[in-house]
Amino acid sequence: MTQQNHDEEEIKALLKRAFPIAETELRRDLWPTMLQRLSASSVTVPWYDWALIAGLAGALIIFPKFVFFFAYHL
Amino acid sequence: MNQHPYLRAYMAGIAFPTAFLLMIWLTGYCIARFAFKISAPIEQLLVFPMAVVPNVFGAWNMLFVKLHQHWRVPIGLHGAALPLFLGPIGAVFVISMGFLTVTERGLIYFGIFRIPYWYLFIAPFVIIAVYYLIWKYIVGSLNKLLGIAY
Repeated sequence: MTQQNHDEEEIKALLKRAFPIAETELRRDLWPTMLQRLSASSVTVPWYDWALIAGLAGALIIFPKFVFFFAYHL
Repeated sequence: MNQHPYLRAYMAGIAFPTAFLLMIWLTGYCIARFAFKISAPIEQLLVFPMAVVPNVFGAWNMLFVKLHQHWRVPIGLHGAALPLFLGPIGAVFVISMGFLTVTERGLIYFGIFRIPYWYLFIAPFVIIAVYYLIWKYIVGSLNKLLGIAY
């Protein structure tokens, strides 16, 4: 074995020690947890947000050109 | 779930505008180009809503996650501030590409839609309200789902 090969092997060994092989496989299926989160999340809308939604709906009915603004600037 | 919070924030931010704007603008583009045979350069117009807006949403949500560590501002208010930046950028886009003409009676978009000047006094409030709702209920829900700040 030449000196160069010996150095390369030593560097490889050092790198392997410094950076252990990463765990790339999932330990478990994550989809059931996601489904659980989706079913658990409940959104409660306060009255002032309902008022805002109603006001916006009214504004869009009265001034339909606002739809154009939204379509471009959303 | 504590890894890569900014990447998850970016993904949660771009999800809604990407899906919504793709549906609206691509459908509109296809109808205009293929059904009505409109030869105007609509593609130039698509750059802002389809490329800029979703990425800005993602970046704005990353900023929210960063700010949330020091300053717990509600996500609805954080989102409501976004049109203050996006509005002028959008205006620069349409003016520089020649899609917006300023006349005595109002602004004319694409030579078709005339927007009276008084709309400009109301429009910011309406857009801010829409952004508040979108960020509070849609982006906030996605953030919650992905386990990041909301």
